[in-house]
Amino acid sequence: MSVSVSLRRRTFHLLLVMGLATVPLACGSKKVSRIDPSSVTDLSGRWNDTDSRLVANELIQQSLSAAWARRYMDAHGGEAPTVIVGEFRNRTLEHIPVGTFIRDLERAFVNSGVVRVVASSDERQSVRAEREDQQEHARAETRARLGQELGAKYMLQGELQAIEDQEGREKIVYYQVDATLVDLESNEKVWVGQHKIKKYIERRRLGW
Amino acid sequence: MIHRLSILTLVALAACSPKRVHEQPILGNGDRVPSVDGTVATVQNQAAMDRARMLDRRDSLVAVALAGCAPAVCEAVTRGEVAIGMNETQVLAATRTLPEAWSVRRSGPATVMVPASRSLAPRDAMGEIALVQLRDGRVAAYSYHEAQGIRLVADPHDATTEGRADALAEMLIREADDLAARGDLNGALDRYDRASVLRADDPLLDYRIATLLDKQLRPIEARIRYQLFLHRLELEKIEAKGDAYAKLASAIAHAKERIIVLEKHGS
Repeated sequence: MSVSVSLRRRTFHLLLVMGLATVPLACGSKKVSRIDPSSVTDLSGRWNDTDSRLVANELIQQSLSAAWARRYMDAHGGEAPTVIVGEFRNRTLEHIPVGTFIRDLERAFVNSGVVRVVASSDERQSVRAEREDQQEHARAETRARLGQELGAKYMLQGELQAIEDQEGREKIVYYQVDATLVDLESNEKVWVGQHKIKKYIERRRLGW
Repeated sequence: MIHRLSILTLVALAACSPKRVHEQPILGNGDRVPSVDGTVATVQNQAAMDRARMLDRRDSLVAVALAGCAPAVCEAVTRGEVAIGMNETQVLAATRTLPEAWSVRRSGPATVMVPASRSLAPRDAMGEIALVQLRDGRVAAYSYHEAQGIRLVADPHDATTEGRADALAEMLIREADDLAARGDLNGALDRYDRASVLRADDPLLDYRIATLLDKQLRPIEARIRYQLFLHRLELEKIEAKGDAYAKLASAIAHAKERIIVLEKHGS
């Protein structure tokens, strides 16, 4: 009887110790905190939010300081040029969401008042569908009129390319982003913006 | 000896190993990416001031242009169209531009206004303006950039829909003649076809199309076109005289001859 009780106690103690040992493991597995979006946080060395922001900042500075919009305003009595965002091609092997810096650029264009931006071909499908719907269902005085869209004068296009070089534990990744504003009528390139990012990634002997 | 050899081997290995990159980082973990909101705000303020100044100037130009203008000119300014008889200010008002958009050359009573920049040429409601000629301060002629070349408006009829269609047809025929001379018969036929839509009552255009179809060995279509050419001449009862008669007479004779030949081949 006493042997059986002793065995049960030992088993209970063993299970208790094992249970207590897993508690810190379970509690320490995840830690989430909000950090400043403008902070630089390089983890893997691949394209990240910092690169996107750097590209956006540079393209915004270059495009707003260039003379193309000013020339247009002078030639059209103060009217701002109208731009449509076209295709930005990712020619790298990485998955890079180019929309992040394009939206930053769009936002700067609109907020600066220097450029008018019209909805892109994807965006305007839903707008047109809504407008057509209004023709049938909305009160006459509140209907959005058909055929009043603003035609873009320029299209913003671009591409992203990368070059990699690796030897042993060292790696260099070079990104080049080119943005171009093309006159939709004449195909003339009125502005070309560019930003280059070069990253040096060194893998330590013990992990990253 | 072994000791020296091992040192040499180590030195050789060190020389072969890749060279490390010693560059100072310009941005590292924990740094902050600066915001460009300040730049955008500065540009925004500047642009708003510039735009307000320009719109003020434009509005006063329109006011001056509309003060005491002839009814036809006033209507054209309101529609945003350049018209014969306008003065320089009215041209600016019609094109919604400021003097900076133009390069103006004056020589005695003649003035020529050309766009200051070819890529940002001023436009009116009809199209992109290539040149405006003024005589004694009034527009005598002006021209537009069209896909086929420059279209000149020298009298009020040229500015009407019919006048424009006629001018565009003329440009298309000229382009078609060039293409035919270069041997691009398909291209030439395409331009003649487009011109025939704009200028529906031109028998010579039918004759040109018929000749091209004939050259392309398309006998049925060619025969129809030759017949259409003759039929149209009959319908319109053209009284061709002098040079025109000689030109049309040879065309008529050629068309009749070709119809007989093509009909024989067809049968």
